[in-house]
Order: sequence, then C-alpha cells, then structure tokens
Amino acid sequence: MTGYRIAADIGGTFTDLACLAPDGRLSTRKVPSTPEDYATAIVEATAELAATEGAGGLRFDEVLHASTVATNAILESKGARTALITTRGFRDVLELRRIRVPRLYEPLYEKPAPLVPRRRRYELTERIDARGNVLVPLDADELETLIDTIAGAEVDAVAVCFLHAHVNPAHEAQVAERLRARLPGAFISVSSEVLPEIREYERTSTTVANAYIGPVVARYLRSLSDRLRAAGQDGPLKMMQSSGGVQQIETIIAKPATVVESGPAAGVVGAARMGALAGYGDIITFDMGGTTAKAAMIEGGRISSTSEYEVGGGISLSSQLVKGGGYALKLPVIDVSEVGAGGGSIVRIDAAGALRVGPDSAGSVPGPLCYGKGGTEPTVTDANVVLGYLNPTSLAGGTVPVDAEAARRAFAEDIAPHLGADVHAAAYGVHQLANVTMMRAVKAVSTYRGRDPRDFTLFCFGGNGGVHGAMIARELEMSRVVVPPAAGVYSAVGLLWADAEASRSRAFLAPLDGASLTRAEVALAAMEDEVRAELDDPKASYHWSADLRYAGQAFELAVDLPRGTALAEGLGAIRAAFESEHLRTYGHLLDDKRVQIVTLRVRGAIAAPVPGSMTLAARSPAAPGQTRPVWFGDAHGLCDTPVIGRGELTDSPRQGPAIVEEYEGTTVVPPEATVRRDQFDNIVIDFAQEGRT
Amino acid sequence: MTQRIDPILLEVLKNGFEAIADEMALILMRTAHSSIVRDAMDYSTALCNDRGEIIAQGVTTPMHLGSFHDAMLFLIDHFAGRIRPGDVFVGNDPYLIKGQHLPDIYVIEPIFDADARLCAWATTIAHHADVGGLVPGSNSIGATEIHQEGLRLPFLKLVENGVENDTLMQVVAANVRVPDQVLGDLRAQMAAARAGRMGFEALLARHGSDKLAAYGDALQDQAEKMSRAAIAEIPDGTYHFIDHIDGLGANPQPIPLELTLTVAETEITADWTGTSAQVRGGINAPLSFAKSNVYAALRSIMPADVPNCHGYTRPITVTAPEGTLVNCTYPAPCGARGITGYRIIDCVFGALAEALPDRVTADTTGGSSLPSFGGQHGGAPFVFSECVMGVWGATSRHDGQSGVPHMGSNQANVPIEMIEADYPLRIESYGFVPDTGGPGEYRGGVSIRRSWRALADDTYFGIRSDKADFPPHGLFGGGSGQPAQTQILSDGAARPVPMLATLPETLSAGSLVDHRMAGGGGYGDPLARDPARVAEDLADGLITPDHARTAYGVVVADPTLGTIDLAATETLRASLRA
Repeated sequence: MTGYRIAADIGGTFTDLACLAPDGRLSTRKVPSTPEDYATAIVEATAELAATEGAGGLRFDEVLHASTVATNAILESKGARTALITTRGFRDVLELRRIRVPRLYEPLYEKPAPLVPRRRRYELTERIDARGNVLVPLDADELETLIDTIAGAEVDAVAVCFLHAHVNPAHEAQVAERLRARLPGAFISVSSEVLPEIREYERTSTTVANAYIGPVVARYLRSLSDRLRAAGQDGPLKMMQSSGGVQQIETIIAKPATVVESGPAAGVVGAARMGALAGYGDIITFDMGGTTAKAAMIEGGRISSTSEYEVGGGISLSSQLVKGGGYALKLPVIDVSEVGAGGGSIVRIDAAGALRVGPDSAGSVPGPLCYGKGGTEPTVTDANVVLGYLNPTSLAGGTVPVDAEAARRAFAEDIAPHLGADVHAAAYGVHQLANVTMMRAVKAVSTYRGRDPRDFTLFCFGGNGGVHGAMIARELEMSRVVVPPAAGVYSAVGLLWADAEASRSRAFLAPLDGASLTRAEVALAAMEDEVRAELDDPKASYHWSADLRYAGQAFELAVDLPRGTALAEGLGAIRAAFESEHLRTYGHLLDDKRVQIVTLRVRGAIAAPVPGSMTLAARSPAAPGQTRPVWFGDAHGLCDTPVIGRGELTDSPRQGPAIVEEYEGTTVVPPEATVRRDQFDNIVIDFAQEGRT
Repeated sequence: MTQRIDPILLEVLKNGFEAIADEMALILMRTAHSSIVRDAMDYSTALCNDRGEIIAQGVTTPMHLGSFHDAMLFLIDHFAGRIRPGDVFVGNDPYLIKGQHLPDIYVIEPIFDADARLCAWATTIAHHADVGGLVPGSNSIGATEIHQEGLRLPFLKLVENGVENDTLMQVVAANVRVPDQVLGDLRAQMAAARAGRMGFEALLARHGSDKLAAYGDALQDQAEKMSRAAIAEIPDGTYHFIDHIDGLGANPQPIPLELTLTVAETEITADWTGTSAQVRGGINAPLSFAKSNVYAALRSIMPADVPNCHGYTRPITVTAPEGTLVNCTYPAPCGARGITGYRIIDCVFGALAEALPDRVTADTTGGSSLPSFGGQHGGAPFVFSECVMGVWGATSRHDGQSGVPHMGSNQANVPIEMIEADYPLRIESYGFVPDTGGPGEYRGGVSIRRSWRALADDTYFGIRSDKADFPPHGLFGGGSGQPAQTQILSDGAARPVPMLATLPETLSAGSLVDHRMAGGGGYGDPLARDPARVAEDLADGLITPDHARTAYGVVVADPTLGTIDLAATETLRASLRA
C-alpha cells in the first residue's frame, strides 16, 4: 500500500482527475475526454500522475471512478438489445408509463420510445395477488417455449417484471433460474431483485433500464479494469453510485442501474465532507457547468436523496411534478435538481421583444462566441466576459483564448438595442436572468421541500459555479458562499471522499405499530446480513430507515430507525420523527391519522481512508497587482477590481469587489461582500446582514 | 402610478411567480389522500392578481385554469370589504359561484401586503373523490338536476381570522361518502394555498406591492401581445365545425356541438350557436368551463413561451346561447361535464385543421374515460374512480400517441398494484388493441383497453366515456379510429354498457368490466404510408396482416417474419387508387 489514491470523473468534453497523497496533497488534471474509448484518457492521465507523484511509477491503492457511460447508453439509445417478460395482459405497462407528459399545451408532443419495443415484450401466464397469493400458477411448459422464442430474438439482456412480485417473488425467481440456465450469455434483470417495491410501472421501468445498460456497463468496466491492470494499476477499481457511495465494480456490473447519476453525486459527496470538516453546517450545493446547473441539499451532514427519478428526462426543474419525459428509475439517488442553464446557454430576443436565456445551448461545440470556435450567438459566458467577470484574453490558465471584443460587439449590436440598454446593462441582465433560472434549481431542493435557503451555505463548484454563486446567494439572501479548492474538478475530488456503500430496500406495507416494528426488525436484520455480505468489511457501519406516510397518502417521507435496540420500543420516537418531518416539509400535520410503513431500507458504509486535510498544489497564480474594470450593476457601475489568486487571500476578510482567478475556474466577489480563505483552502464569501436589499 | 418596466426584472418575476405555482402543485400532490388527486393528479394551482386574473399556473390541468377568472370575480365582488388576512375560502357550485361542477372544490387564500392591502390570491382547485349525490364518485350521468349531484357550497370562509370553521368541516364530512379522503384533500389544498401565500409574501417583502402589481400587469400585457402575434399568423376567415357526443344512456340520441371560429387579424371569436340545448344528464358545461377549454385549445397552437397567464386570453372571445350544453343554466346537472370540455377542445382543433394543418392532430379519443366503483369493503364504504387515458390522432409528421393525457388535462394513471392493495378490484388487462388506430400516412394512436374484475358482490359501477357512435375522425384522407366499447362479462354472458351510463350497474363478485377507448384518427392517405412503417407496426403487433392489406394496401410476404411483398403492394395500391 502506497497510501495514494486516484479518482477520475468522465464527462462528455473533459475527464477530470484528482490524486490524493497520504499527506493530504491534492493534485488535479483536466484532460480532453476520449469518446472513442473513454478508458484511454483515464489510463494516460493516471500514468502521468503516477509518474509525477511517485518517481518512477506509483501504484495507487485504489482507482475511483464516475462516468456517464450508463446515462449515455440510455440518452443515445445505445443500450443492449433487451427482451421483457411480463404477467399476461400487461406487456404494454412499460410503454403506457404513467400517462402524464412533461409539457402542457403541446399537441405535437412525442413520447420517448420505450427501451424495449413491443415486439420484444412477452407475456407469460401467471398471476399473484396483492397479498402474495398465487391466483394462476406459472406454466412451466409455456415458459420453456417462451425462452425458445427469446433465444431466437437474439437479445443480450432479459428483464422480468410480474405484478406483485415485490410481495411474492416466487414466479420471477423461477423464470430467472431458467433464463440463467438456458441463456448464459444474456444479462438477466429481475424486478424483485432490482427494486422490490410497489408500483408496477416504476418497477418495470427500473428493471428494464437495468437490463438495457447492463451489458454496456459490464463491457466498459471490465475493459477499463483490464487496461488499468495492464498499466500496472491493479488496485481495486470502484465506481460511484447515484446514491453517493462507491462500490466494487463486480457489484456494479450485477446491478448497473445504481450508477446512472454517478458524476453529479460525486461533487455533492465532496461538498458534504468538506462542509463537515470545515464546519459550514447545512449546505446547498450549486454545480454549474456549460449546459446545466444542478443543486442538492445537505442537512445535518446528511445528503438529501430521493427515489423519484427519471433518466433522460431532459431538464428536471421540479422533478417531482413534471414527469414523463424520461425513463423512471426508482433507486436511491442524491436528490439533484437540474435546470438547462449554463455558460453555454444562448441569449436571444424573442418575438415579443423579451430577453431569453436558454434553454438552447452552444454546448462545448461550437461553444461561446468569444471562444472563436464557430459560435455565432452570444451566450452567458460571453455576457460574463463583457462584464469583466471572466478574463478577457484567456481562461483555464491560458489554454482557452478569449475574444472579448467579439462578445462585446454581439451584445452591443444584437441584444442591447432591443432592451434600450447599454452593453453592460444588457450583459448584466443576461447574467441575472441566468441566475433566476438557476435559482429554481436551488429552490427545488429547498423551498419546495419546506426549507429556507437563508439557513444554508451555498457551496459552489463546477466550471462556472464561482462565477455565478455569489450573486445567486445574494438574490436568495443566503449570507455565505464557499468555493472549495479544485472547484472545477470537484466531482473527482468528491470521489476520493466517498464511502464504500451498499444498500437494500424492501416493500413492507403495514401500520406503524409495535407488532409491525417487531416484524420489521426481523426483515431489517436479514437485509443487513445481505449488505454485510456484500461489503465484507468489519469496519462497515449500518443504518436503518423506513419510508412512512399517513394512511391514504401516496408519497412517503424517510425516517431514521434506531438500530441495536428493540425497534418496537422506539415507536413513539419514530412517529414523532415522522410528524416533525411532515410538518417541516408540508407545513401541517394530520391529527388522529394512522401512519403506515411502506418501505424498509438498510444502508451499510465504510468510510473512505482520507487524511484530515487536503491542500491543493497551486498552479498558475495570478500576477500580483492586476486589476480590471468589472460591472456590478447600476448601483456600483464599473469598478476597478483587483484580480487575485486564491493564495493571496488570508483568513482575515477582505472587502469586495474581487475576482479570484485559477486554473480550475473563476470566483466573482461582489462589492458588498467580503472574502477570505479558510484553513482548508476554501474561498469563503460573506454578505453582511445589513447589506441585504 | 406608472412604473417603468425593466424587461429583465419582468422575466425574473415571471419565473418567480411560476416557481410559486409549481411549488403549490407539488405540495398538493404529495399531501393529498384520494387517488384521483394524489395519483391521477386531477387538480390545479395558480397565483392570481388582486383582480382575480391568473398570473402563473402550476404544471397541472389546463381545462381548469381558464375558468378561475369568473369564480374569482364573483368571490371578490361578493365578499368586498370582508376579505381579511387569515381567511381561506371554499366553494364549488357552478351556479352559486360560477364554479365548474360539484366535485371540483376551490380552496383560495388571499394575500396581503404589509399595509394589509389585498394584492394577490393563492388559488387551488381539486377534483374530490366524492361529494355525495346519487352515485359514488358524484359523477352521475343520470342526474337530471344539480340537487341530485351532492353537496353544493357557495363561497364560504373555511378559515376565518386563522380559525378553521369546524361546523363547515362537519357539514362536508357528513355529506360525502369518504370523509377521510375529502377532508384530507381539503387540508392538502390549504397547505398548498398557504405555501403560495408565503412564497408571494417573500416577493412582496422584497419588491413591495406597487412594483409587483405593475410587473404583474406588464406580464399580462406581454402575454396578450404574444397571443395576438400568434393569432395574426392564422389566416383570417371563418372556420366551421360540427361534432356529436354519442348521447345519454342505453338509447343515445346524438348531441350536436357546433362551432364557428372567426379569426380577424389579432382576435378570435368562438361562437357555439347551433349547439344542443342543455340535456337531462350530468354533462352540461357552465360557460366558464367552455371558455376555459377554448382558451386551452388555442393556447396549444401558440408558441411554447407565451406566459400562461390571463393576458393570453384577452384577444379570445367565447359566446354561447344560454341554456345550451356549453352554457348551461340552473338547475342543469353538470357532474360529468368533463366530457363536454374535452369535446370543446377537439372541436377547436377540428375547426383549425384547415388553417393550421401542421399544428393540430387528427381527432383524439375524447378525453379520459372515467369509471367509478363503489360499495362496501372490510366494513367501510369505498369509492374508486380513475382516469383511463388516452389516445391522440396522428399529425402531419408522426403517428398518433397512445398512452397520453388529453390536451385538456395532464393526469396520470393509478398503479394497478395500488388499486389491488386498496380496493376489492382486480385489473385483468391494460394495454394496446391492434387494428384500432385510424389508417393514414400517419396512423392514429391505437386504442387502450383496461378491464376490472369485481371481487365483492353489490359493487356499484358507472362510467363516463365517449366516441362509440362518432369515433375520432381522420384528417386529409386519414381514416377514423375504431369506436370505443364497454361491456360487462358475467356468468358467461356479455352485456354492453352505454358510453354515458345513466343507470348504475351492480356487479356481482367475479364480473368483469372490459373497456376499450376509441382509436385516434389517421392523417393523410393510408395508401401513401411508407411500407416500412407498416412493417414496424406488424412487428410490434399494432396491426394484423389483414389490416395491413385492407387499410393500407400492403401485402405481407411472410406473416411470421413480418416481411412485406413490395411488388404486390405496388400492384394492390394501384388497383385501390383506381
């Protein structure tokens, strides 16, 4: 063991790496992704870091990984050729979905194509009722004939989902056994194994998505593992799950639907750990890149998660409400709300003469106009250049040249005249409008859940997080903003901090009373045994929870369960915890209402071996004494603003305005805020209470 | 006071208003108790200005929203001088308060600024599981006057000065079949309205009421301007369309709807003269509801970024003679008036097809089918209704969608596993029916079938459905979809159920209700359909080889492989064209 660990986060444009030395030194790299074989960028950058960090080649104790491979397979329809077996009468459940569509007033709307076309959805004679009784036994001969048919359809994966299989999995188990025996090369995904929870569409969709990406994820992870081994990196390869914990790739390969939101999860985990370490209390994360901005909530050190999620649904502005645009995936995922606004969002004047920002994006190609790579329409990044927030000559330590005059011209000629504003006011308007759109992501994880954003610290990362974070915080009257070191590659940093994690869930519909809790305890202990076997580590800790609701409601709230004491004795405390969460989330309680248990959950975790602090190797510090004119709105006009490096900040607050420029990104400090650097190298921006408007 | 409108702040506030309306919708859904609200999502939320005009709506039910205005005008006028902080209003009656139908209950909270000036309203409406009346679910088609339809509520203060009116709550509870669900949903509406008020109060604290009012008005003006621009793109002229609802009961007489749509520059008038007189059955629509559906249909042909606020309706005028199906007068029953609302939207699309061939679909299945079941289960009464949806006609670009809500609503289905866990019902099938989509160059959506088996004796059953005698029409040479059908299979015999059943059916344990919606209309000449698309439909079992031949002139070479004989197809198509 060398004590060195490395993490790689693959995005569509860049692959980000972070390497942590035993003494807490953090080194980062941002290299172009290699879409023809994503492993290439990782293997090469890992070799380069190994050579740089340890003279003569270093073996990393483990390689941690986050990737969009699973999401992309779904978004690009490049998953496995999959078959689905259902209860007779129900092969169209997958395609009927929940009916609701994500947009109103759109007669030309087209539903997303199902991941398994109707021709490969097969029905089998069998039926189980809601209590688990077998009404119609499974016909074994019919099953064999069906497997013949499926074998003839040349599929790579088979999903199985029968009605009420979460209550009685016997029929599914019988089918799975025969499929595994007769189609050994196919990936088999069974609903009672993947998601033993009530609601047939969500369970079918999750099981199908798991099957659809199964072979793709397996091929990708095995290839990556082989190539790392060939390069001498034979430590364990682990991948981030959407829930925020990492897991050995063999476990991921068995249930790949758990890694669909792997990248966004990693950054949030990093924020949670840094927040706890540096004592920033409750946090809302703000992760802004080129095309989207994302937010998540961390409360009492705990990351807010959900199981109401759709992959490929485009923008999940208020994901709980606007459903139907993607594919339901009902597995634990960090509750990340996302809006389609980023640096690349295109600025236009609409038919009524109003200013519009996005949702179209110039993406990474052609990118913002000022990058000079063929972009013809101004973007949010161009506005930020006009305002002086971004360097007028180059970004990313000089690697991306910037044509500030092109951006200014576009605003002066195409945008400002329509608004009756000058070029700065127009660009500032674009900046504000982008902020308003992105604030909806922040609100979706706070006010929509009964939380007041003013009680939170805004923790900003991603390529543009530091550019917009302070202004968004000001709008929402949040008094503190933190921009961590290596913010531009923060998902890779977060990977280094993630717990190894395994979890189980089980449907358990019962009234919340002593007798149910006694039965639940038996079920939870069995689930914990499964998790224990999967983690196989005596240092693992375990956590129990349940989803509860008032009888009659259709949506549940998660409540912790005490572990280690007789569960039934905690009845009063469990009910009180549910009521307190209901009151906080929805603003009211129901008197005399029965409470139900719906789902039981067990999570096991092993803490990551990280040193007590991290220090970032400084790169390309700004030249001292620089200033440039920066526009902070009518109230301030053009301010001659110091441009500094992170290292020039100290723990004593310095009055804004200021621009902090680094290799990984830029942080904008407005005039009415102060800025300092804490002992963990975080940039901390504070708004004085009286400075609020 | 005139205020200079900063276009940027206007956009900022528009987003702020919309976020509040969406937050209200989310809270309502997540705290509701009845499956029609929590699972099917038959409810709406909106923020209104002090004059009761919508400034933002949640992503909810279009056919509700345009009718808020009339009810709000009534409320504001009726309670003038008596609207105070801490009040919450409730009401439902179409005639007493210009409401919609009795199951749709409004819960509305006024919003005041720091000087206690009324400046906005947080409004909600939800379709309740039951409000009493003739049948469980309160959607009786057989009602002949509104007094048979259940509890009539004028606008009353459900909460006054922060104190809930317990008497009123008890009256409601005593008059409905499932008080837990109704009271639970009313509280969910109150929670949503409270969230709306608090969200708006935060904006007030920031911007002040004068500024918010000015910007709210500017938003209405912007919506009106964009609406006019969209209408200006429709060729001026008069567009006429006649359609029929099948009729009531076992011997239905067609009920005509007649629409004359006049487009003149930036304004549009929808005149319903010629439409049937109001009928002795619960499908009559108040004028406010008719207007709402015309607005929703016209909004659907406008660009996506037109603000969904009152302003966009200003250039639209809706007229209908009193005492008709689309402007009913007391005491006409209206419990199942949803069907008329859906048909109003379909008629607007029918009228606009000639002018906007690329913006509308061929005819749809006519909105959700609404089956209701009731009886006794485990010693307590149960009521279960759901919305079965939905099929669209084809467009000039793609096949009709199947498994979508009607344009007028945006509801969800109820999970089969939830139904079977909670009610004495078993779902035996839920899926597509082959050969049912109207043929066309683009095929209409295929029909959807759902069947329920009663597990208990004396189970009440009723259904509101449509389009058996007048199936969804095609456009520009496209054929009609297959008609809708409902039957009860019991003791080895099948008996048909009317589309608009006026008499309740009583099911014995083991009886099966089998319902099939109509297929969507086709678009364009079926003989021009790409044979490759026909082959895809064959492979997916959406059509049979026989249907390929008779409807599309496509000859199947090998039925097991689904291959097409192109040469034989050419010949057959040529002979069919001749």
